[in-house]
Amino acid sequence: MALPQAAALLTLSLALLCHLGGGGVCAQEPAAHQDPAKVGSPPPTVVSPPSVAVAGQGADAEAVDVTLSPECRVPGSKLYTLARLGAVKAALKEKRPVRVLAIGASTMGLGSSATYPVKLETALERSLPDVDVVVESRGLQGEIASGAGERLRSMVAELEPDLVIWQVGSHDALARVDLDAFGTALDETVQWIKGHEIDVVLVSPVYTASLAADDYYTSLVRKVQEVALREGVPLVQRYEAMRYLARRNDKGEGHLLGSQFRLNDLGLRCMAEHVTRAITLSLLQPDPASTGSAGRPALTLAPPKDSAGAKAAPAPAGP
Amino acid sequence: MREPNAVDFWRGLALVTIFVNHIPGNTFERYTYSQYGISDAAELFVFLAGWSIGIATRNRDGSPEPRLKTVLRLMSRTIEVYRAQITTMALALGMIAGTALVLDNPLLLEWHNAGGFFADPIQTMVGFVLLTHQLGFFNILPLYVVLLGIAPVFVLIGRVSRLAALLLSFSLYAASLVFEWNLPSWPGEGDWFFDPFCWQLLLVLGFTMQDFSRTSSWLKRWSRRFVPLGVVIVLTGIVLSVLELRPDPLLVPDPRLVFTFDKTYLSPARVIHFLGVLLAFQTLYAFLAPRLGWITAFLASLGRNSLAVFSIGSLLSLAAQLVRFWTGGGVVVDVFVVGFGLFALGFTAWFVEWRSRKPRLSSP
Repeated sequence: MALPQAAALLTLSLALLCHLGGGGVCAQEPAAHQDPAKVGSPPPTVVSPPSVAVAGQGADAEAVDVTLSPECRVPGSKLYTLARLGAVKAALKEKRPVRVLAIGASTMGLGSSATYPVKLETALERSLPDVDVVVESRGLQGEIASGAGERLRSMVAELEPDLVIWQVGSHDALARVDLDAFGTALDETVQWIKGHEIDVVLVSPVYTASLAADDYYTSLVRKVQEVALREGVPLVQRYEAMRYLARRNDKGEGHLLGSQFRLNDLGLRCMAEHVTRAITLSLLQPDPASTGSAGRPALTLAPPKDSAGAKAAPAPAGP
Repeated sequence: MREPNAVDFWRGLALVTIFVNHIPGNTFERYTYSQYGISDAAELFVFLAGWSIGIATRNRDGSPEPRLKTVLRLMSRTIEVYRAQITTMALALGMIAGTALVLDNPLLLEWHNAGGFFADPIQTMVGFVLLTHQLGFFNILPLYVVLLGIAPVFVLIGRVSRLAALLLSFSLYAASLVFEWNLPSWPGEGDWFFDPFCWQLLLVLGFTMQDFSRTSSWLKRWSRRFVPLGVVIVLTGIVLSVLELRPDPLLVPDPRLVFTFDKTYLSPARVIHFLGVLLAFQTLYAFLAPRLGWITAFLASLGRNSLAVFSIGSLLSLAAQLVRFWTGGGVVVDVFVVGFGLFALGFTAWFVEWRSRKPRLSSP
């Protein structure tokens, strides 16, 4: 009775410390505060920080992507599927600024200096040296299946970007719209953007434990993956990445109120990095043969393992 | 309590339509008239608000009330609407956060533009009271606040010359379309969902047309003759929306907003369609009212108490969304949430009227 409460208090204070003190404290937080609550049951993994090492040596055979900051490290196959980004490449070739339109439900982060668009711009400019990246962000209200696609077109027409980074699906999931209607509308909108020589990167919706066994939700996440594959656009698998981070950080704290909210917070903080990684690697994709690139998009995925993983996933998470 | 009339009736219908349309994905959504035209209930709501301003700022005999009284009346209404917006937004954010906690589900925090409030509360709180941070589906009242705030200018000019008021309104509309003038969102980038500089056109159209129809029978006579044109426009709207035919915003010539079907900037196609709807349905109330029985009384009672009904309606829509998400939706849930919502809207209207009727209790 007393122990979980003490742990909760500790968690809370650590979370506070984490917010005040920035990233460094947060990375180790899940490992550090567990000890009191865990007395009696064997620890599932090595407890001592850094957590990167834990993930590296853990059950997952694949190594995490060490170019990411420690708290955000996820294996590449969990994080993205890649595809060509022709319009961004063209902008790079012409040595002009790359204009990015970031669209999504949660376009903000913690504090004004650390918002997602700002982080994204910084991260992209760091990984693409000597390139000027201009990120505009917009919230998109409404569902893709009913009208939001139309509003997105207006935004794209207004800003005429080279690349649209689209966190898609949250609103449709909340409205539990018909999955086929969602898929069709998403297909159409992505085709429209690509048809105007603008690149698209899709970002799938968040992972959270209470939705892990929700068939509708996992089907919607899968729908986003299917559309990304079908349309040949890169996908940042926020769902898979967050599920991985959740497992890595899961030391039996599921009963603590707010653990899912902290995971969500971490997911938001990491999103800019994850998106940047997927874009950078997609830019390294070879150009397709010039034949037939107009109709069917020539799809190049990173290792074949990725696409297999993308199709099979996401099975509802285990307990 | 006034007897049912056309304005209250149609406003009641607009309120019901907005309530149903603000529960995205629900079964009844596809049966609202918004799905069968280029314009929707928002246009009707704003136009009728203008029409009511015309009625409210004149005495029963049609003589204009003193200018200062009109300004104060509109100012007091602006404050009332602002208060309603702040209250409903606060309750909505509480409902979203509470449901997210109960269901242990942070996905809910991403509910249409609410995320900013939870992730960045310091700046967003400022945007919240300045009306520059708007939740999805809670963005009509901010428009209404601005429209009522600037309405005295148009009303007073209209007293001197209706044509001058219309010209000023149309110029502001046209310039905003061409130069894409809009009020900014803050924090977060982008602009208001309903651009007040464009949407004021409908308000001004509403009260000048009310004024015009009061003083002369010309408008009535000619609008009767144009009923067939209205029907053609309505039918065209049905065909375009059913076949999902609309201009590609990247292919239309500049200025782009003149040619697209943009809701934010109230593109001309929406205005034309709405005027077509007005022409086609202008005489329908006289035909429907005696035949619909209690439905007429119900819709008119909603229309009479539009601000209260709208505010409660937006909260009920949100509650319905949350219930649908939690239960997984489905026809049974939809029947329940929409049915309960309609009952609650009717109760709200009745309650407001009961409260204003009953003798004031002495406060403790």
